[in-house]
Amino acid sequence: MSGFEVPKKFPTTVVGSYPKLDPAPEVLRRYRKREIDDKELHELIKPAIKEVINDYLWAGVDIVSDGEQSREDMVVYFAERMKGYTVGDWVRIFDNTYFRRPVIYDKVEWKTPMTIEDWEYARSISQGRPVKAILTGPYTMVEWSFDLHYKDKREAVLDMAKVMRREVEEYLKRGVKYVQIDEPALSTRPWREDAELVKEALEIIFKGVSAKRIVHICFGRLERILPYILDYPVDQFDLEFKNSNFRLLPFLKEYGFDKELGYGVIDVHSLQVESVNEIIKDIEKLMKLDIIGPEKVYVDPDCGLKRLPREIARAKLKNMVEAAKIARERW
Amino acid sequence: MAIKAWSSVLGGFHRPRFLRHALRDVEKGTLPLGLEEELLKVATAEVIGAQLASGMRYVTDGMLDWHDIFRPFVEAWRNVYPDGLLRYFDNNFFYRIPIFRGEPEPSKPILAPRVRAFKELIEPAEMKVVIPGPLTFTLLSKNESELPKEELAKSIAKALNMELKEAVEAGAKAVQVDEPILIDPYLSLDDINIIDDLFKVLFEGVDAFKILAFYFGVPKKDIYERILNLNVDALVLPLAENPKGFLNLVKEHGCGDKIPVLGIVNARNIYDDDYQHVKDLVKESLNTLKTEEVGFTTSSWLDLIPYRYSLRKTTILGKYSEILSKELGFDYINPLKII
Ligand SMILES: [Zn+2]
Repeated sequence: MSGFEVPKKFPTTVVGSYPKLDPAPEVLRRYRKREIDDKELHELIKPAIKEVINDYLWAGVDIVSDGEQSREDMVVYFAERMKGYTVGDWVRIFDNTYFRRPVIYDKVEWKTPMTIEDWEYARSISQGRPVKAILTGPYTMVEWSFDLHYKDKREAVLDMAKVMRREVEEYLKRGVKYVQIDEPALSTRPWREDAELVKEALEIIFKGVSAKRIVHICFGRLERILPYILDYPVDQFDLEFKNSNFRLLPFLKEYGFDKELGYGVIDVHSLQVESVNEIIKDIEKLMKLDIIGPEKVYVDPDCGLKRLPREIARAKLKNMVEAAKIARERW
Repeated sequence: MAIKAWSSVLGGFHRPRFLRHALRDVEKGTLPLGLEEELLKVATAEVIGAQLASGMRYVTDGMLDWHDIFRPFVEAWRNVYPDGLLRYFDNNFFYRIPIFRGEPEPSKPILAPRVRAFKELIEPAEMKVVIPGPLTFTLLSKNESELPKEELAKSIAKALNMELKEAVEAGAKAVQVDEPILIDPYLSLDDINIIDDLFKVLFEGVDAFKILAFYFGVPKKDIYERILNLNVDALVLPLAENPKGFLNLVKEHGCGDKIPVLGIVNARNIYDDDYQHVKDLVKESLNTLKTEEVGFTTSSWLDLIPYRYSLRKTTILGKYSEILSKELGFDYINPLKII
């Protein structure tokens, strides 16, 4: 390992997913057709992960991910690898794009490490840059599955949290530094009851965890749930800002936000590459409000980059890193 | 006199596999020209058949080619463009945000050609067309025009009014307007205040059975009171997803002079709905509502569950409505009833 050190101020990171790079689409197609098994999948996907890491290194991102190259979908991937699930039918996500919404038919249980291999490989080639462990949150897993076993959402979510906790333990054994739980479904149901359920789940997942604990939530009406989530047992909230035009900022101020913030400055739904200047101005919006210091601000995109063309994703990251460098001098 | 009862699926269906593949081939440019339309007709006939066989009084064409509820209109109107994806309410489904750069100018009708194409197949049931409501359309879009929001909303209502008039002229007997934004707990009073005017524009000269639908949640009380004053004939109450919330609403506020259309079948899960539970809900609602006519429907469109379940839920809706009507002594209208 080289002696890479994460910058003390405005470290840059990613939320997790990256466009599927060759040979990932073909490997996933073969996996879907059962031509290759899980072991072969993780072996054959390596060149794609390497390409992702190369892009991150080229752009200069500090804390990276494996690009989720093996994950066709953030829910299906995990559903296929734990007990209690069966393969679902196709359901539309947008336009003419579908995912096989998995079906819970029995108690969910951890079976085997689900995400470790890709993470370890990414770590072996990231030139000392830490690689985030990224897991789909239990609430999102349950919300985006069909449930034929638990009739009670809470019970399902808490069981799912135990599965994810078990996976986190695999990471802890291997010295993980950053663990991120993705809960995009939460912002779609901005009710206190649901926010509190996620808190219970996070308590299970993060109990006694000394690695950096992160929860990622994106889109929807984040300001509505903000008051209910501030006491989550996490070190960092990784949130989307750019796409909603930084609407959330005054609320952070109002509620006295004082944790670390993954600050989304790249719109993953827009093909337009944010300029360095634009990103600096967006960082300034946060700094002007004097909510948290620069050592608590992690500069990153709003969400995963998977739906962007590779060249655009790369260009966006490059400008983001440039902007963070300049920000380090200014604040 | 016995209560008149009927049923109708709320909206669109999921796409069957062959249509999904055909549409994908269209994108790739590998499908022979014209085949897409033929396959769409076949798929449409299938979902129409399912509705007829299940005894639906009002039948939709399933809207199988719509990528989202706004898209066909966005694509047919000048000055409007589909943009990035945004989550559609609390679903893991995304619509493309319509961007308005000016007043929408319809370049071709969307609904009328479909009515003409399918109304014969639908007989003796009647055709229902579905449109996004002007308030939801406006609030889920981005306004990059010079127009203030209210003006833009009115121009959308006007364009939709043309759609409805042409559809009714072509033979549609029922029009359903979807305003899911009404369940948004943060919907501002300023926004809801324009809805009366919008509906006046929307329904001007539209001579058909008018249904207002909202779903994915329960509207707040003050919003619901406003809804009761709108100029529609029937009001969808999607009981299945939020039974308590809706029972409380109707107990407190009734449903005015509107015909209640009870959403008794949950369109967002894949369970077979529990019949006894459905029956209890219907009894409890109708004890309060005192109506001469009642409709039964699904709690939302059937496009968010796999295809086979969208057909199964249609069957459940038909069966339950019919048995329920028998048990509760309603006069059930099944256009296809033979004996
Ligand atoms: Zn996200």
